[in-house]
Amino acid sequence: MQVERGQPLLAALRERDVFLASACGGRGLCGLCRLKVLHGGGPPQPAERRHLSAEEIAAGVRLGCQVRAEAGLAVEIPPKLLASRRYQGAVERIRDLTHDIKEVRIRLVEPDAIDFVPGQYVQLEAPPPSDDAEGAWRAYSIASPPADREHVELIIRLVPGGLCTTWVFRRLREGEAVRLRGPFGEFRLADTDRPMVWLAGGSGMAPFRSLLHHLRKKGAARPCTFFFGAVALRDLFYLEEFHAAERRLPWFCFVPALSDPAEGDRWEGETGLITEVADRRLRDAGDAEAYLCGSAALVNAARKVLRRKGVPPERIYYDKYN
Amino acid sequence: MTQDSNESELQRRMAPGALCLEGFLGTDPRAAAEILAADRAALDAMGLTHRDLAEPLRTVLDLAMTACGRAVRLGRATLRPDPAGDLSATCREAMGRIVCPFDDGLFPKGEVELLDGRTGECLTVTPLSVHLIAEHGFYQGRPSRYRLEPRDIARMFGLGPPER
Repeated sequence: MQVERGQPLLAALRERDVFLASACGGRGLCGLCRLKVLHGGGPPQPAERRHLSAEEIAAGVRLGCQVRAEAGLAVEIPPKLLASRRYQGAVERIRDLTHDIKEVRIRLVEPDAIDFVPGQYVQLEAPPPSDDAEGAWRAYSIASPPADREHVELIIRLVPGGLCTTWVFRRLREGEAVRLRGPFGEFRLADTDRPMVWLAGGSGMAPFRSLLHHLRKKGAARPCTFFFGAVALRDLFYLEEFHAAERRLPWFCFVPALSDPAEGDRWEGETGLITEVADRRLRDAGDAEAYLCGSAALVNAARKVLRRKGVPPERIYYDKYN
Repeated sequence: MTQDSNESELQRRMAPGALCLEGFLGTDPRAAAEILAADRAALDAMGLTHRDLAEPLRTVLDLAMTACGRAVRLGRATLRPDPAGDLSATCREAMGRIVCPFDDGLFPKGEVELLDGRTGECLTVTPLSVHLIAEHGFYQGRPSRYRLEPRDIARMFGLGPPER
């Protein structure tokens, strides 16, 4: 591969549709854009020493944003990264799930199909908000099942002052063209038949919706309890869809809960933080594996509960979205 | 990089659309350096440091963020959970992280609304805004969504000399 000398590897690879993970735009702050340098690349930079262990550095692991292209540089790119591509799409449907969450259904145009594993995410490009600003790529878990290869559905919650979500909420319309890239991510079901505990809050619902439809289509029958938390009734969504799945699938149990129901919600379901509800409802879960998606605070609290219930740490899989 | 180019790069990162939609300066006509100096002077007048203001904000932020969206009542003096406390903090979580415009960290998005039940005053606090105050003495431009007035923070936590 020929790239411009001196260009950061992260950017050089991206121009050739090889997308290393990055959450800081190549500033050496997130430590995500790891790859193995086989030859060349110079000594590790201070930013790399903050993110990489001595063992990783000794093994040749580097941050793609800190390594500059030079003659003879050789790097190892994991094959899974080569599966990520750019996509042109068209918005087929936008619907309100709650007062601040939208579901965006995108039909893929070029290429017109995607292969992904439930739990993976794509990045959506928001155009620049003004002439002198830049566009932004933001990550969203895919909420649709992988069998529907021609579409991706994204669950997008409004972030105050957010570049991408503000565009989605204020400007994006059905029929408009959009750009995506992906799929990315390691969050996925382990290949076992252990009972499962799923736990999510807010837009952390997305991977579990994809998983549920995928398992249903496969005819799987792994016992699964899905704890889904929201603050008040106005923040809950997909209730009918998941309750209907619960009626059809004997192995699936859906437990929505509200942490702070509003007056007038007439909520008869579980109340409390979703981690408290899981604590009350789960007995010995030592045989289970657990999948968590939500804020860092939610995931951390859930991991403590699950450990108390006997789930070993190596069987707790999670996706922290902040 | 020269001092001037450092400052213009900082100004660029703080502009609307660079790191977030509205930027960090609001419609404030002052440069970032002038905002920093003016807020520094306000703190000196109160006999407080940036960290004096950042620490209680950080305590409140941490408590609210671990409550996963449920309101937390706090005692003003102790800054510990207290059902009879005057202060109430509620976190609104958000997906993703944001880069500090000074390029020294990555912070969770999301905001905490801190309400003084006695006066009705409200501050909106984010992990990044606490970092900006503690590490850079930057309270953001006026008016911007996350601008925090030093005097408002001091009043919320009963810090500094009494106001006349």
